[in-house]
Amino acid sequence: MNGGWAEALPWTIVVPMVGAVLTPVVAARRPRWAGAWAWAVLLAASLLASGLVYRLATDGPFAYDVGGWAQPYGIELRFDHFSAWVLPLLLLFVVIVPFSWRYLDHVMPDERRPAFYALLLLNAGGMIGFCVTGDFFNLFVFTEVVSLSSYALVAVGGRGLAAFAALKYLFIGAVSSLLMLFATAQLFALTGSLNMADVAGRLAEVGGGPAVMVAFAAYAVSFMVKTAMFPVHVWLPDAHAIAPSPVSAVLSGMVVKIGIVGMLRVYQVFFAADVLELGAFNQTLVWLGAISIVMGAFFAIFQDDIKLMLAYSTISNIGYIVLGLGLASPYAVIGASVHVFNHALIKATLFLAAGAIIHQTGLRTLSDLRGIARRMPQTSAAMAVGAVSIVGLPPTAGFVCKWYIALGAFESGQAPFGFALVFGALFIFVYYVRMLNAFYFQEPVHDVVLEAEEAPWSMRAPVVVLATLCLVLGVLGGIPLAFVEPAVLDLLPFWGN
Amino acid sequence: MLLFGLDLDYVLVIVLFCVGLYMLVSKSNLLKKLLGLNVMETAVFAFIVTSGMIEGGDPPILVAGTAAPYASPIPQAMVLTGIVVAVSVTAVALALIVQIHAHFGTIEVDELKELP
Amino acid sequence: MDVVDARPILAPFVSFLCAGLVFAFGRSIFWRRFFTFLAAFIKMGLVFSMLPGTLRGVVYVYEFVEFTPGIGIGFRADAYGMFFALVSSTLWLFTTIYAIGYMQGDRDRVRFFGFFALCVSTTVGVAFAENLLTFFLFYETLTICTYPLVVHAETREALRAGRIYLTYTLIGGGFALIGAVMVSATAGTLTLAQPGILTDDVGVVTLAIIFVCLTIGFGVKAGIMPLHGWLPIAMVAPTPVSALLHAVAVVKVGAFGVTRVIYNVFGAELLGELGFTVPLGLLAGFTIVASSTIALTQDHLKRRLAYSTISQLSYILLGAALLTPLAATAAIVHVANQAFAKITMFFVVGAIARTTGKKYVSEIDGIAARMPISMAAFTIAALSFVGVPLTAGFITKWYLALGALQADAWWFVLVLIVSALLNAGYFFPIVHRAYFRPAKEPWPPFEEGRRFETAKTLLFPIVICAAYVLLLGVTAEVPGMPFSIAQVAVESFFAGGGVAP
Repeated sequence: MNGGWAEALPWTIVVPMVGAVLTPVVAARRPRWAGAWAWAVLLAASLLASGLVYRLATDGPFAYDVGGWAQPYGIELRFDHFSAWVLPLLLLFVVIVPFSWRYLDHVMPDERRPAFYALLLLNAGGMIGFCVTGDFFNLFVFTEVVSLSSYALVAVGGRGLAAFAALKYLFIGAVSSLLMLFATAQLFALTGSLNMADVAGRLAEVGGGPAVMVAFAAYAVSFMVKTAMFPVHVWLPDAHAIAPSPVSAVLSGMVVKIGIVGMLRVYQVFFAADVLELGAFNQTLVWLGAISIVMGAFFAIFQDDIKLMLAYSTISNIGYIVLGLGLASPYAVIGASVHVFNHALIKATLFLAAGAIIHQTGLRTLSDLRGIARRMPQTSAAMAVGAVSIVGLPPTAGFVCKWYIALGAFESGQAPFGFALVFGALFIFVYYVRMLNAFYFQEPVHDVVLEAEEAPWSMRAPVVVLATLCLVLGVLGGIPLAFVEPAVLDLLPFWGN
Repeated sequence: MLLFGLDLDYVLVIVLFCVGLYMLVSKSNLLKKLLGLNVMETAVFAFIVTSGMIEGGDPPILVAGTAAPYASPIPQAMVLTGIVVAVSVTAVALALIVQIHAHFGTIEVDELKELP
Repeated sequence: MDVVDARPILAPFVSFLCAGLVFAFGRSIFWRRFFTFLAAFIKMGLVFSMLPGTLRGVVYVYEFVEFTPGIGIGFRADAYGMFFALVSSTLWLFTTIYAIGYMQGDRDRVRFFGFFALCVSTTVGVAFAENLLTFFLFYETLTICTYPLVVHAETREALRAGRIYLTYTLIGGGFALIGAVMVSATAGTLTLAQPGILTDDVGVVTLAIIFVCLTIGFGVKAGIMPLHGWLPIAMVAPTPVSALLHAVAVVKVGAFGVTRVIYNVFGAELLGELGFTVPLGLLAGFTIVASSTIALTQDHLKRRLAYSTISQLSYILLGAALLTPLAATAAIVHVANQAFAKITMFFVVGAIARTTGKKYVSEIDGIAARMPISMAAFTIAALSFVGVPLTAGFITKWYLALGALQADAWWFVLVLIVSALLNAGYFFPIVHRAYFRPAKEPWPPFEEGRRFETAKTLLFPIVICAAYVLLLGVTAEVPGMPFSIAQVAVESFFAGGGVAP
């Protein structure tokens, strides 16, 4: 089982983690070196990840036993199609980190930079670990690594308000982590194993029953909280809006997706065991997803602060993904899985572009930022592309996933949700039209806007690259869809209602 | 021991969890909320340890004097790791509370909400 | 006969590229015009080069990318698509010339010409779409690209118009998306290459929902009542925008879409059985008469033209809804006829506004003395709309009437006659005032050094388009003219059968 590219699997986790620990050392003399160090580490990790994905694409899923301990006694790392999310995740980090080099100038004093980048690396490492682990308790540990670093990242840039938002996030997140720990313990009590594949087998022997249902429900609620689904989404808006923009991009784009990936992992185990009737659960997901879509869009419309609007928009998009998962038909689930990535890309574009504007002008609200497009044309264009993408209009990245999920809705006979999907997003376009009108077609009201200059290259380049990717993936959207298809089709025979 | 058809140990765990949850939700002081969280965490640890309990089990160490059935070491490992995680969460939370206090001068949620 | 060829994809993409170049280098007038004209000529060249093949029955196909069997992006230049592409690429050339003259000294011309180029690229993309997904992709992109043109003036009115425009078109787009997704779910394919891909296996209710969704979706842009509200309001845009978009690109894309739905998604045979086109036809008939009646009351020239456009578009929709070969031919030909005639009118109205500043019917008494050539062109176009022989409009009306009789729809002939009278009712007063009433105040004289009544860049397109209206009327049956292309297209629509008696 070990050997070849499988050896790289633990390194992908170790590299960012060790990098995180070494950051204060590296940056001891010059705190600003922390940024470059973090970038180098993440580049190295993404190289490793691309090797892993290549191996996956050519040979199929593979596994690695940590410490050489055989299954089911040891901790197994497993790389399957859902783990491939690791590569785009790292690549997004690689684009976001350069943005932060200049951005942090106005957010925090230089001495705090090593702490910031160390936390960022920990976050990345935790997410990677989450996606490649094959052990339930390991999953819990990595969830905690991700969560803790996220709480800290929200607070590191600010003072009182940021700390308060972070604390709210912490309390809710900690409860959900406890639920996950409980669920893990419950599974262990029922089956005597913590290895995912093994548990699946043993669950089949144990059969269904209230105890199994409780474990599943605990996992489900825990991941629902992590992914900010209605009705447990309340921690998200403040946390994502107050955090520094690169952190918002990471949180909205990637950390909330942890819940989705976790859900998929749990599905893999419970469905393979085929011991539960999940029809009602799926239907609940569908309803909650639909409500999230509409509610997120609805609240977004009324925000004046750009970042708060983007945060609510995240809730809305998570609704899409959850809706797709709940519909349980091939197209819907494929669309939902790929939207995990597409949304991360689009949200990163939007948050970074907004961040660039905030950095250059110090203003955050729509009414203040009128007319900014004349002074910052490229950033505003990127924002426009992001706006069109997030609504899901062609020819951008958001469109094909929406198509797939809508197709899944009609295929599985839940046509009204298809309607909710299509029109729910159009709703949010109201805000974006206001935003684009304000940026492009209205006269500036603040001197700051009149004199603003385009963001420096290290901030502009990532924004432009991301926006271009949004357009490119609109046309080439089929590639990730085709990639995920085998994994979803494996999963689905057990899924249905 | 059975109480209402449920094992007393598990009932106590559930009660402890609910007490902690109540503290977390209803208290206004941030430190008290944190304590509630810790109580909840303790409840889950108690659950893990309890579920791993084997009547008459021996410590899982291969020396003379111990024999099957051995108590499984895994729940103990889980609880230890869980405690470490709980301590980290508490540490981060305390750091945040200190920062809130430094900035706002209060750690009562009621007062914090009043602030503009 | 299908031939694999890169031209159907090159045509839209080359002009996409040029649009990008306009954005990048457009600050310099020279490069802006260079790239715009380059795009126009290349596109016309590519499209026209496929014409001989089309007349022989060749269809040019190019599959771009396939996401999954049945869903992908593909391009297909069949006769109907060619027809539409020919009309729009030709008219784009003339509108560009006109726009250069009209927008002299205006602001933000880089943005204007850049999005102008993008709009026409997407229109050709729609024309050559092989399947509903590609169609929808370009359709929605067209909406996005037209928005900056509609709000170009950046006044509160313009922004309001833009908002209303977006609301209508995006909601319509939502319906179209749902319809397309439902087609994909029921038929398993989205291709527009067949005379119908749906069958009645799925039940009348599902088919009805699909039909309604798609019709609403594409009907918004086609201005069928009651979805027409955006059109008159969008007249706040600069006249070249109104001319191209609302006489040619946006509205024709909607009509094109509805026709594709009728003949390539459902198919004439299926719709004949289901009878869905009857309410559509009635709605179109109502739109024709009601819109013309409203036009009678409009004093603002562009608004009068807007309501006339709405009315004329419903000719196309009604012709398509009749489900007979003759009516379908007439509907397709009317795409060209109406486009050229209406654009002539818009050009003239814009020229009048630029030269004399007059925008209302009541203000243009006696203007024929000042702008004889323009008014002559306008008169030709007006005659065409009324359906006087020797003009393009006559051909359309004649064949529509024949097609209506073929489908036993006597009432439609009545509608045609009534609408001809109404057209006369709102166009002839303009002509009459221009020629036979004395001017209320002296017109500004010719500008210094100008031989002609207005800028050549404005006049030239006016003359050419008016001349073409006459040409279409006189030489309609000549092979190579639009009529023959339309016939090839209709053959493919009714290949599987049809309702022709």
